[in-house]
This record gives sequence, C-alpha cells and structure tokens, in this order.
Amino acid sequence: MAITEAHAGRRYPPCDPYQVSAAKISEFATALGDDNPRYRGDSPMAPPTFAAVISAPAWNQVFSDPELDLSRERILHGDQRFIFMRPLHAGDVVIATVTIDKVRVRSGSELISATVDITSREGEPGCSAQATFAHAREAAA
Amino acid sequence: MVDGVEIGTSLPALTVRFTRERLVRYAGASTDFNPIHYSEHFARRVGLPGVIAHGMLTMGTALRVVTNWVGDPSRVISYAVRFTRPVLVPDGADGVEVEFGGTVSAIDGSLVTVNIEAVSDGQKVLGAARAEVDLGVRVPHLDHGTSYAP
Repeated sequence: MAITEAHAGRRYPPCDPYQVSAAKISEFATALGDDNPRYRGDSPMAPPTFAAVISAPAWNQVFSDPELDLSRERILHGDQRFIFMRPLHAGDVVIATVTIDKVRVRSGSELISATVDITSREGEPGCSAQATFAHAREAAA
Repeated sequence: MVDGVEIGTSLPALTVRFTRERLVRYAGASTDFNPIHYSEHFARRVGLPGVIAHGMLTMGTALRVVTNWVGDPSRVISYAVRFTRPVLVPDGADGVEVEFGGTVSAIDGSLVTVNIEAVSDGQKVLGAARAEVDLGVRVPHLDHGTSYAP
C-alpha cells in the first residue's frame, strides 16, 4: 500500500485533548530565543507557532498511517499557513483534528497537503494549521 | 489607518544564530525529533547535505520580527511561509547566522500585512512569508480577549 491521490479527504479521529501549560510555553519561547514578556509569568499566552506543538500528534497520525506507507524521516515541511481565531493561553485545553486535503504523486515523491483544526472541547475554533509535506519515496543513493 | 505605519515601513531586523544546541532545544520543545535535525550521518543518508534546522524553528523565529514590533503576539491573525531552502546548521558553537527582516506590504483599516525575509548563508530560506496583524486600538471594556475596536 502507498499514499495515492484518492487519500484526499481522509479525516483522522480527534487527538487526545492537549492542555497548554506555562512550562511548555516557556520552554517553546526559550527554544525560539524569544523573551517576549507575554510568554512568561502567571498567565502566559503561547507564541503563535506553538500551534505546531499541538499539531504534531495530528501530523503523526498521518505520517504513521500504515495504509499510506510513509517514512517519517523522509518527510520535509514544504509550506505552512496558520489562521489564528483565538490566542492560546496556559490552562487552555484544545483538540487537534487532521484532514488530508490533497495528495500529488510525483515520480519518487508525494506532496501531501493537510489541515489541522485546533478547537476547544466545545468545538470553538482556535487555529487552522494548513501544511504541505514532501515525502521522498525512494532511498537516496 | 494606523499612525506611523505605511506601505514600505521597515520593521527592526533581527539576526539569530542557529546552533545544534538550538536545534536540540527546539526538538524537545516542539516534539519534532526527526533525526535530520541532529544527526549528520542520518541527514546525509536521506540525501541532505548535512543537519538542517526545523522549518518551524525558522518560521517561529522569523515571526519575532513582527511580534517584537507589535508587542502583543495576540494581534497576529495569520502567518504563512514556504520553506524554500533548508537552513544548514554546522556543528560547533558558531552554527550559522540567520537574518530576518520585515516590511509592511499592505494596510486595510487596522489590518497590516508584513512581508518577512529570512536569509542564511546569502540565500533566502523562506518564500512568500507573510504575517497579518490587527493593530486596532484595544478597548478594555470591549475586550473579550480577541476583540478589538474597529
């Protein structure tokens, strides 16, 4: 089995609820070298691209789907778009759900476009994270 | 319109050194443990010239140009990039420098679009990098977290 263009539209079950913590926000901001005071203190907000942390388990659902036969280390991030409806703060609990939007098969590689919807438990939208990944099918010489 | 902001306004530039230590930190913080971001041998085996930075590290760092400028990161309402070239990060304390800049490219009421540039080793590493921010005046009694006066 391998990924095909017919996998467009495939939607995965919602990931487990993710609770945003002040410690993880601080760790993430430090990794970006970002000392913005809004990411620190008692009630920090998360850096906008923290959405990638929440998206990671959703992306991994796609990358590890046995039917798609992908190899994680041969996947490169091609593009990324975030639309932010609501900033994330420490204490927020959010749920990520991923859908494959489009697959383009080329010789030896595939381009996979997928959207992660990040919502509250009640389904209120927080962020839409749209990405394209390139997967190299053949081993490099 | 927002006072003092016009099309062509340059945002303060930012130069950041990417080292292997930073990649390891970002791997842990982001939970992206793809070995192409820390193992030379592994990166070469999959056809890369060496260890490369996480695209999301470059994207997240580039947005600092915008969030440093607006102060309040919750004003960012969209952000998109294409990862056009990998950022090679050599071993050793020097790593590689990445230079980031931003220019206002569109204004629509209080919505301001910033085009972002990221250059490493003389080459652009992000394409079509754009962030949209809402610079509307925040009115405390109307503030529900994301609501801004028109």
